[in-house]
Amino acid sequence: MTLSEVTDIAGRAGNFTVTVKEAPRYVDMEKCIGCGDCTEKCPKQIDSEYDAETVKRRAIYVKYLQAVPLKYQIDPEACIRLQNTGTCGACEEVCDAGAINFDDTEKIHRIDVGAVVLAPGFEVFDPTDSGVWGYGTFPNVITSLQFERYLSASGSAKGYLVRPSDSKAVKKIAFLQCVGSRDENLCGNGYCSSVCCMSAIKEAVIAKEHSPGLQTSIFYMDMRTHGKEFDQYMECARETSGVRFVRCRVNGVEEDGTCDDLRLSYINEEGLQVEEVYDMVVLSVGLQTPKHALELAHNADIKLTGDNFAATSDFAPVQTSRAGIFTCGSFAGPKNISQSVTSGSAAAAAVSDLLASARFELSVGASFPDEKDVSADESRIGVFLCHCGSNIAGVVDVEALEEYTATLPDVVYVEQNLFSCSQDSQDMIVERIQEQNLNRIVVAACSPRTHEPLFRKTLKAAGLNEYLVEMANIRNQNSWVHTADPDAATSKAKDLVRMAVARVTCSDSLKSISVPITQKGLVIGGGTAGMIAALNMAEQGFEVHLVEKTDILGGNALNLKHTWSGQHVPTEVAKLVDKVVWHEKIVVHREFEVTAAEGFVGNFKSTLTRRDGLKRTIEHGAGIIATGAEQYIPQEYNYESITRVVTSVQFDKLYELNEVHVRRAKNFVFIQCVGSREENNMYCSKVCCTHSVQSAIGLKKENPNRNVYILYRDMRTYGQREALYKQARKLGIVFINYELHGKPNVIENGQVIDVEVWDHILHRPLKLEADMVILAIAIRPMSDASTLSKLYKVPLGSDGFFQEAHAKFRPVDFSVDGMFVAGLAHFPKSIEESVSQALAASSRAVTLLSKKEVSLDGVTAIVDEQNCDGCALCVDVCPYNAITLVDRIADDPDAGILIRVNKAQCKGCGICQGSCPKRGVHIAGFTMEQISAQIRAALAV
Amino acid sequence: MSFEPKIIAFCCHWCSYAAADLAGAARMQYPHNVRIIRLMCSGMMHPEFVLDALSQGADGVMVLGCHLDECRYREGNYRALDRSDMVVELLEDFGYEPERFNLTWVSSQESDKFVKAVTEMTARIKKLGPANGIQG
Amino acid sequence: MAVTTALEWLGSCSGCEIAILNIGEDLLPLITETLDIVHAPLLMDHKYFGQCGEGVTLEIPDAVIGIVTGCVNNREHLEVLQEMRTKCKVLVALGTCATHGGIPALMNGQDQQESWEGIFTTVSTDPGAGVPDVEVPPPLDRVYACDEKVRIDMQLPGCPPNPEFIAEVIVSLAEGRDPILPSKSVCDTCLAKREGKGTVDKVKRFIENVEFEPGAPIEEMRCLLEQGYMCMGPVTAAGCAKRGVPGCISARVPCRGCFGPVRKGGNQLLDMMNGLVSNGIDYKSVVDRRSILRFTGAHGRLRPVKKRVAKEKN
Repeated sequence: MTLSEVTDIAGRAGNFTVTVKEAPRYVDMEKCIGCGDCTEKCPKQIDSEYDAETVKRRAIYVKYLQAVPLKYQIDPEACIRLQNTGTCGACEEVCDAGAINFDDTEKIHRIDVGAVVLAPGFEVFDPTDSGVWGYGTFPNVITSLQFERYLSASGSAKGYLVRPSDSKAVKKIAFLQCVGSRDENLCGNGYCSSVCCMSAIKEAVIAKEHSPGLQTSIFYMDMRTHGKEFDQYMECARETSGVRFVRCRVNGVEEDGTCDDLRLSYINEEGLQVEEVYDMVVLSVGLQTPKHALELAHNADIKLTGDNFAATSDFAPVQTSRAGIFTCGSFAGPKNISQSVTSGSAAAAAVSDLLASARFELSVGASFPDEKDVSADESRIGVFLCHCGSNIAGVVDVEALEEYTATLPDVVYVEQNLFSCSQDSQDMIVERIQEQNLNRIVVAACSPRTHEPLFRKTLKAAGLNEYLVEMANIRNQNSWVHTADPDAATSKAKDLVRMAVARVTCSDSLKSISVPITQKGLVIGGGTAGMIAALNMAEQGFEVHLVEKTDILGGNALNLKHTWSGQHVPTEVAKLVDKVVWHEKIVVHREFEVTAAEGFVGNFKSTLTRRDGLKRTIEHGAGIIATGAEQYIPQEYNYESITRVVTSVQFDKLYELNEVHVRRAKNFVFIQCVGSREENNMYCSKVCCTHSVQSAIGLKKENPNRNVYILYRDMRTYGQREALYKQARKLGIVFINYELHGKPNVIENGQVIDVEVWDHILHRPLKLEADMVILAIAIRPMSDASTLSKLYKVPLGSDGFFQEAHAKFRPVDFSVDGMFVAGLAHFPKSIEESVSQALAASSRAVTLLSKKEVSLDGVTAIVDEQNCDGCALCVDVCPYNAITLVDRIADDPDAGILIRVNKAQCKGCGICQGSCPKRGVHIAGFTMEQISAQIRAALAV
Repeated sequence: MSFEPKIIAFCCHWCSYAAADLAGAARMQYPHNVRIIRLMCSGMMHPEFVLDALSQGADGVMVLGCHLDECRYREGNYRALDRSDMVVELLEDFGYEPERFNLTWVSSQESDKFVKAVTEMTARIKKLGPANGIQG
Repeated sequence: MAVTTALEWLGSCSGCEIAILNIGEDLLPLITETLDIVHAPLLMDHKYFGQCGEGVTLEIPDAVIGIVTGCVNNREHLEVLQEMRTKCKVLVALGTCATHGGIPALMNGQDQQESWEGIFTTVSTDPGAGVPDVEVPPPLDRVYACDEKVRIDMQLPGCPPNPEFIAEVIVSLAEGRDPILPSKSVCDTCLAKREGKGTVDKVKRFIENVEFEPGAPIEEMRCLLEQGYMCMGPVTAAGCAKRGVPGCISARVPCRGCFGPVRKGGNQLLDMMNGLVSNGIDYKSVVDRRSILRFTGAHGRLRPVKKRVAKEKN
């Protein structure tokens, strides 16, 4: 349901009635084929929201060309006809599909659901009203979102970096950070938007790639690149790309004379007032909850935080204040892509937990007639030529194409359709297949990427194997791109049809196979992430084996006292342990480690070994690695020799015990980034800034007479944690910035500890006399991570943490199917993120386990036993280890060897086919024969 | 009549083929000389097809795959890259100018890059002349 | 009744003929009962334009089976081959020279004129000697395989071909059935241990012994390509194996590729190089890659390396 909003959520968890208001689209989704003819004819132009007002769109439009569904809509506010009946109507005239419906009306739907997920997202802060940056006044001051559109090839500037006012090539850009974030004066958004530092760096780097010689400067307060591999990216931007970073808050932006250049004035790190002139200023605008989301929160009756984000608990980060209503994405606090994706899966896990008993209740299987075996029949090819209204027929001479197609070998039937994809055409194709006894079909229309699934279904409905259809892309790759040359387009269309006919002639019926699944999960690691994942899987009804190396569940959380929002960790962990231990579906294996593993998705077999040698073998369909991380033991700051130099974890213990040194101490110095963000460990441990700030607040609150100093490189109290930073400063905690090249010195000096550091504000060396120095130590990957990595063939990243399949879009998947990752094993993170990731991993695992079998695509590698002789050239090229060598006849080693492809592991990439010198293996649907036939046909005339 | 080369372009389903579709949706115009053959991955491409195409009358062959480290199948495009280095050298052994082969990375969004690659390749082959020119 | 058979040799070293003799005891019934050999320069010296000048035309009698060995590299070869085609119902190309050009076709990789000059006017030839142009059949522009010039009904490669399969071809023709010949690569008949090529990053030249346990069976030796040697087994047609192991491999020597490509039309150079690069093996470590075509230089595969003409500039 698009163009729809929720106006009311009545009922309770498991039994809601949701009221949805669907605004009229004025375009019939069933009929619209997304050709765009209407937009071309529409006379009304207004600013495009998608392009952040950098270009115009029409009154009938799609937001962007990759939009799903690719169906046009009319903006009633802008439409001439809708504003004034009897006028215009150009789109209606030009739409061959007859999709325009000016009489469309608003509809109200009432839907019964068991759970609700709120994911309304965010909007960027609009800096128009806060005048200091000149946004809205000076044309060359733009927001980061607009800049993104300027850089885009599909944007107004077509990817050329020119400035809005005079289209002059841009030579110097300034990025101003924290516009609409960490700023209560100008915008009221006190929190950190968390993603803008990284996106500014990315934009600066990409801009430099676009225009060599471009100078980019980022003006910032703290660079908050706390995500996985983000610091590496920043260093690379600084060192390799030459992005300049300036730590300061710019006072304001002014126009420099009349030439549209922009003058920035700021106080540099040496304390001097500086003025610089730029061609363009990009405001890194922050994230905020949009008004409609606030209304939604109101309608859903859920609580919000002071920063206007959905209130959640750290141990249930996707659960809103109202049972049965969940949230994900930036609605519960600013998030980057991978965090959003993770929270999305986590919300799904939470919903599945709630609704587990109703699983599959509403699913219906489609039924198709029995498939006809055509393997022995002669090819009888039917070709359907689509006009796509005038999209194809307006350029390509379809009559000539039909005449030509009829002359092609094995083609016994040709027909033109106005729209091959329409329902009546589908029915007609089914009829023709039966009446003409066709056994292979070519549809010359648009792209197989969008429409092949549809025509496959049509073949199934006609009792033909779905793989016996081939599409000739004569629209997207022909009529649309050769509009001005109809002759060339027609002759190319002939080629494309000839190629498709040649290819489909060699097509075989393919069957998708299925592999049974062991519906059990294995979770490795009994920390917070592991327990949450195990519990969620178990609550959804699956047997889970939880393996813990030590004799106690809890992991690193056992060292923690409070989450950033103040939740008591020991209580929550104890509750969790209790639930896990007593859950009938969870088997806990304490003091066991995984020592051997075999198998593949759906069918793993892992061997667990106890210290005394006792072994257990677990069969499982999916596995989650949640083995946590280790603490860094400092080598620096005389940690070894000075007793009162302690790590943050040690300090927490001492503080809790009200140990004598802590009790008596008056001066506390926290040193950040100990073991993080340097040399071989170029990553941020993410939690230490918040942790130190919290400890400092505790000390200061307990006794305001204490002096507390935090020596930091960048304070990374990201997201809503910024409130803690603000509170700390209010309490009088002193924050002193140091740089990597001027690390503090810690020297024992009798009763006190001297901490020497360069003060960047006072511009002189500073000596602090401390009674206690607390080192904010790094989080290190488990030293034995490589063992698991080898056992399950799951990769480790360069920093030693487990590497997910895709940093943004598959944040908890491994590239090995059926294996997932959660918690600190993946990268340093807070409890709330660990929990979110654990839920996400569980969700991904359950998606698999909930099926009795995995059905595999027919497009996989098939061994041609006539040709394969086991030369083994393909064995190691397979990225999925799906190829093994086997004896041709199991008990006769003299019969030679050949390869076997494990279908469950094969993804059909065809690297094996591309390596084989003898056509011993091919990808079904993309055989060497098929490709050769296409080449031959392409060049036949 | 001016020389209209025939170019075979092997496009990865996940990136360049989609970029070609997108170029259509954006009504970008480019030379009509290219015939696209869709593969699931540039790593599926057997170098034999390059010689096959050239020997059957193609004047140029392109392989368009995903950017490095963006392969859906982890490393298919690295295989395509390795093979392309080799093919470029071997083309000379078999009597073709190495310029008749081209490997380009194009993401599914980079319709402009697709159009550019195809346009440049067509221009390049037009300059080079028909492929059978130096055979025999 | 015995089948009439004509034998001819073109650009041949007579190794193929020796292979026929190597059929051994089974040869006797073949030549006494199965075949009626009506023409065979190998057995009865038969010069068409002899030293005594007795003949002026080609004299090859009609035969059912014709067997030619050797490549086509001069006008005489071409005429003899064409005559064989005319006179024989079924024409068999025997040996790699006849099927793929063989060793003589290595010549195709060089400029012909330069090569001829190099052969006939070196320091060791008579002073003033030149490329002969009388009493020698004129060379063709390059070395051809038989099927490039006439239709060939059956190909049996090998340098030399395996006597066992020569006998099979003859017997199957006499019996009017398809011969049973190997259709896969050398690897199919090789017993060396294979696991995958992923551990190799460069190929080594064969200037040191491969690793093997003397006296131990081939089964216990690691695949030579997996040991890093340029073994052409994967891209070479099987057929050399006698007593169950490919000829060279049984001598612990990498396959040289003498049976030509596995697949008709296959390209050993391209396929081998592709096999290497696909496995992440540096193809630049192959010394003189064109020598991979050492047995299959006909069909336009091997050609002189052209100096690149700067023609695209204009």
